[in-house]
Amino acid sequence: MAKVIPRPQLSFWENIYFVEIFKGLATTWGHAQKNLIKGDFPTRNYPDELPALPRDYRARHRLMKRPDGTPRCVACFMCSTACPARCINIVAEESDRLDIEKRPAKFEIDLLLCVFCGFCVEACPCDAIRMDTTLGVMVADNRADFVINKTTLMDWAPADYPATDTQSQKAPGGSLHAQALADFNSGNRH
Amino acid sequence: MFDWILANPYAVAGLLLPIVIPLVVFQILPLLVLIERRGAAFIQDRAGPNRAYIYIPVLGVKLRAFGMIYNATDAVKLLFKENFIPPFVHKGWYLFAPGIPVITGLLGLALIPWFAPMSYVAGESLAVLSGQMIEANSGILLLFAFGGLGVYGIVLGSWASNSKYSLLGGMRASAMMISYEVSMGLSVMGMLMLVGSLGLTQVVEWQGAHTWGIVVQPIGFLLFLVSMFAECNRNPFDVAEGESEIVAGFHTEFNGVKFMTFMTAEYLHVIAASVLLATVYLGGYQLLPLPLPLDGFDAPWVDLNTLWLKNHLGIIAGLMLAGGGAGLLGFAYLLVGRRRTYQANDANAVLKAERSKEYGLYIAVFALGGLGMLAGAVASVMLMHTAALGQTINNTVIFPGWVNAVTAFIQFNILIGKAMLFCWLFVWVRWTLPRFRYDQIMALGWKVMLNIALVNLLVTAVIAKLVR
Repeated sequence: MAKVIPRPQLSFWENIYFVEIFKGLATTWGHAQKNLIKGDFPTRNYPDELPALPRDYRARHRLMKRPDGTPRCVACFMCSTACPARCINIVAEESDRLDIEKRPAKFEIDLLLCVFCGFCVEACPCDAIRMDTTLGVMVADNRADFVINKTTLMDWAPADYPATDTQSQKAPGGSLHAQALADFNSGNRH
Repeated sequence: MFDWILANPYAVAGLLLPIVIPLVVFQILPLLVLIERRGAAFIQDRAGPNRAYIYIPVLGVKLRAFGMIYNATDAVKLLFKENFIPPFVHKGWYLFAPGIPVITGLLGLALIPWFAPMSYVAGESLAVLSGQMIEANSGILLLFAFGGLGVYGIVLGSWASNSKYSLLGGMRASAMMISYEVSMGLSVMGMLMLVGSLGLTQVVEWQGAHTWGIVVQPIGFLLFLVSMFAECNRNPFDVAEGESEIVAGFHTEFNGVKFMTFMTAEYLHVIAASVLLATVYLGGYQLLPLPLPLDGFDAPWVDLNTLWLKNHLGIIAGLMLAGGGAGLLGFAYLLVGRRRTYQANDANAVLKAERSKEYGLYIAVFALGGLGMLAGAVASVMLMHTAALGQTINNTVIFPGWVNAVTAFIQFNILIGKAMLFCWLFVWVRWTLPRFRYDQIMALGWKVMLNIALVNLLVTAVIAKLVR
């Protein structure tokens, strides 16, 4: 059986509109004067005030660095194989170090194809690619600029990452860099 | 020529006022658009449009002026849009229609008394410079006639558009106009009956000698206010436009500068309606809602309020300047707090530096303006002693020209200030109330407002007869 919802009956004061109108005006005035005087809106001044994204938010990628500044990537193609969008384009070449076999000559990610699933990060055996930059905003004037290369991917500073992130701090400029570089040169590259 | 100008300052002022006053009142329009946009935003708990800026190279400041720049960007956008004329319209009337509401809106302003009539000595006799640009005996009736003509532009535009949605919008506007014109006329009639004249100057003078219209005619005021909302096609009576029902309403086929003209007319009508409401029910250019005492003066029909104002010009100007200065300083203080908030929240150092500079400029301008006004207040209280300057000739008090000029300026500002209250009310109501359905509007107009207006008129007539 259908449920009958009785039509609400308006009282006399509601029927002459004016009382209810002034109540409504009081409500909107409260909001207007609060926002005018205090200025703390529930909304954010978006591009000027950015939200604080957590580190595990899957944002734009970065390539991790060894203590000597070269990418940790060994051009194994695991990430580009795992990538469901096929947006990672790697060209491998022979490394100039005897203890490292390969390195990427070219490492490109097409951000327009990328679906930000994080599979490349999961697939990487060397902790070489990460998505913890918190760069949620990617802007460019044309399509070609959305294809980011090795230089852009490695353009990050250890100071922007927490001290607990030891892998980042081992890169040049990080707090653990001196010890890490000494270890690296003595043959302990992990 | 130059000698004539110096010899006849009042005649020159009379010639200049019809040009100056519409230009000055037109400057309220961008302010009203700003109030509408940011007011809407504040009511809806958001910041509103505040990002368009003009870069000032010398200071290195991105001047955003609280969203005021959007008016300029809108105007530029609409002016440079392609002037497309649909092939199916009647070209002549289509191009002519948007101008009509603007013209009638401006003509309406010409009938408002912006300041008290000034008496001055011209040769042997006394002459009067009126605060109205068109002084007609029909007064408020002529104003209603101009207001009614405004809808002709809407109907003509919609008809010439040769589009059914436009026509529906135009018909709705005209039907609503007719319905609410009736209760508008009847509601203001009570006030006119008390005054005993149709002239708006007389209405304002009566309010100066007795009390404001809103006190003696509260019901008439409410009816007139509601009718004015309908006359201006403003929410909750904005059925002439309705996205969900009739595409865009009467201006569906209008674009670019023609659309801008329609929008200008809408805001112009809001200003005209606000000024009219302030004139008829809020004392017009009168300062206070009570007749003020004046020593040794007992003429029965005289503009006591203005005379009192002219006698105490220094104190009144000082108080008004002090109020304005305090307001500006308060706003500067508000901006200091806002600047601190931005310093805490902004994303990067470049933005912080830019915003700090920009707000520093605003704070400096408003603080300096406020301090200047406070200094002006002190100066006017100390320097302007006008009580002894009036000379009584033929039972009329004649003041020197500069006193008249300052008085007129003050009274113009009083009227504009009262009108701005109503402008804010228009915006406030628009973002508070949902719109009425079309049949509800008609029912409200014919079955409720008309009856209340008639009863109000009857009661006022009886009381007016008994009191006289």
